[in-house]
Amino acid sequence: MSYYQVPIGPQHPAIKEAFQFNFILDGEVIVDVKPRLGFVHRGIEKGMELRTWVQGIFLAERICGICNVPHTTCYCLAVEKLYDIDVPERAKYLRIIINELNRIHSHLLWIGILGMELGFHTLFMYVWRDREKVMDLVEMISGNRVTPSMNCIGGVVYDITPEMIPIIKRNLDYLEERTKYYKSVLEEDPSIRARTVDVGVLSTEKALDLCAVGPTARASNVKSDVRFDDPYTLYDTIDFNLITYDTCDVWGRAMVRVDETLESISVVRQALDKMRPGPINVKVKRIPPVGEATARVEAPRGELLHYVKSDGKETPYRAKMRTPTMANIPSLCEMLKGYHIADIPAIVASIDPCYCCTERVIFIDPNRGEKWVWSYDELRNYSRKYYGVGV
Amino acid sequence: MDNVFTLIRIFIFPGLLFLSILAFLFEWIDRKAYARFQNRIGPLYAGPSGILQPIADFIKLMGKEDITPRYVDTLIFNNAPIFAVAIPFFASLYLPLDGSPILSSFEGDVVLLLTLMTLYTIIVFIAGWASTNRFSTVGAARAILQFLAYEIPMFISVASVAVYVGSTSLTYISMNQPVPMILLQPIGFIVFIISMQAELERIPFDIPEAESEIVAGWLTEYCGPKLAFLRFAEDLRLVFCSGLATAIFLAGGSGPILPPVVWFVLKMIFIVLLSSYIRSLFARFRIDQMVSGCWRYLIPLSILQLILTRFVEVGLRWL
Repeated sequence: MSYYQVPIGPQHPAIKEAFQFNFILDGEVIVDVKPRLGFVHRGIEKGMELRTWVQGIFLAERICGICNVPHTTCYCLAVEKLYDIDVPERAKYLRIIINELNRIHSHLLWIGILGMELGFHTLFMYVWRDREKVMDLVEMISGNRVTPSMNCIGGVVYDITPEMIPIIKRNLDYLEERTKYYKSVLEEDPSIRARTVDVGVLSTEKALDLCAVGPTARASNVKSDVRFDDPYTLYDTIDFNLITYDTCDVWGRAMVRVDETLESISVVRQALDKMRPGPINVKVKRIPPVGEATARVEAPRGELLHYVKSDGKETPYRAKMRTPTMANIPSLCEMLKGYHIADIPAIVASIDPCYCCTERVIFIDPNRGEKWVWSYDELRNYSRKYYGVGV
Repeated sequence: MDNVFTLIRIFIFPGLLFLSILAFLFEWIDRKAYARFQNRIGPLYAGPSGILQPIADFIKLMGKEDITPRYVDTLIFNNAPIFAVAIPFFASLYLPLDGSPILSSFEGDVVLLLTLMTLYTIIVFIAGWASTNRFSTVGAARAILQFLAYEIPMFISVASVAVYVGSTSLTYISMNQPVPMILLQPIGFIVFIISMQAELERIPFDIPEAESEIVAGWLTEYCGPKLAFLRFAEDLRLVFCSGLATAIFLAGGSGPILPPVVWFVLKMIFIVLLSSYIRSLFARFRIDQMVSGCWRYLIPLSILQLILTRFVEVGLRWL
């Protein structure tokens, strides 16, 4: 029996961004998969080095369109560590609120995507209609539907006024009711269960070996959530549950996300109640002191890490991120093996991939067939030569 | 004069022109109903409530560039759309749209119609195969595999009606139902509707053209006028299948007050709405689930219906 290859991507209806999987197939069964990234590399890390510290926030926001709030939060947390300042308490709660609203919007979006990948367009349409409510809330708070530009170094920019609180609570009640309904749909619908239960299994050991993060890991019964392991802002003052499922399949990942949406709704409510009047940001100097810092936050897709290094200049000396999708790609390749072509969309969607965050560059010489990665020093020498600074 | 009348019947009413209008109308009804079930608006701009949208789409596709990829089997690839349109057209000419068949009626034409439906699947298969695209090949293989699953229960459910009425002529079957067969053979009707959904490649059985999996399945390489023809063929097949269901299970054009053709079209619209409703309720099944489901549930159910038919017949005579 000979194998044949099917390339899925870079243009394919199941994958909304430019990414390629080369599937080695035996009939309809997947034998092996080779991911290839780098189609839409945007040089964001390099771009960070060319911009001031404040401009970096807006560039970080544009790393990922959907989980933009965790990116800015993480960047600001890292830079605030450089300054060694503590942001006001109200700002911390506001950060929690906007982060959790972002998580609700991202998870609801994902449920819709799952429905679409399974050919269940009705679910997609309904979930996306209800997702509008949370977008409206973000718009009310910040003026933008998707990218709120909420965080700044030293706090947040927009405040939640007392008039907004009843509106937020009303919309959250509606969202809670709808999310519970979608949970019952995912639990009971036979055609969804037929397509997701025992599909894309990633055992707990494999998830630990391959460093899965976020809902992917939690669906494989790995208790990993930065909000619990390393509480940032004031997550430790809020009472909520770490959701894990031990089914290890696509269905488990869906259920983790639905349950987390319900948890997020409760987190926003608690944060609204705990917020006390006060300042929402502190003024900082334009340039942080020399040093380096990292910060971790729990983005909707998993653990997100930002690293910044300052050499006392107007721009960062180095900025580096590791996005959750990047961490989940090895697990994804493991999940796909042994399943059918028809399972590909559901399994690929189950890690909630965001490829443009994930892009990395490798140098390839097609004539000699060589591949290499530049080390930090080589990159530095190249950039010095490029800007004529001298080696 | 008789010849002219026959030609008008075949080409204008209730023949090819009327069938084409019905095809576009049904696509609109299907899209609009599907949209409303999903909390959307659906087609809106072309004509009142977007009723002209399917025609606009057809004209637009006809105006696009006609591309024949280099590595396809040109003869089959280019002719498949023509056959795809011709087969449901020819088959629809046997429907008793206004009480009498458009073309002719003879003992055994139900078998001919079911054979034509089989032939369409073969056209789908060779069209996908001739495309030499990997996605088309997978789609074509899935089409033929799916066909092995739904065709048999569909035939048996039609056969149980034919056994009950005692004829294999479609016109005779539709005209000689004491009560609509849907009441006497509900299991057979359900089996027929589910198989029809698979025959028309609609959710939950749109496996051969599953968008998120294999792009457009066997249609992937088609574009421009050829795609317009294939989509038109799909609409015609919707007309034909709903017409077949109407003639066999809903007593065709019989009904009070209104003329038969109106009753026939209304009943067809009922079938189309039922089909769109099913389409909005499910996720797509996997091919192995679909095949095993059909063999495990649909075929025993259709055989049960065939056995029950005999009992109902005896029971009615006894009453």
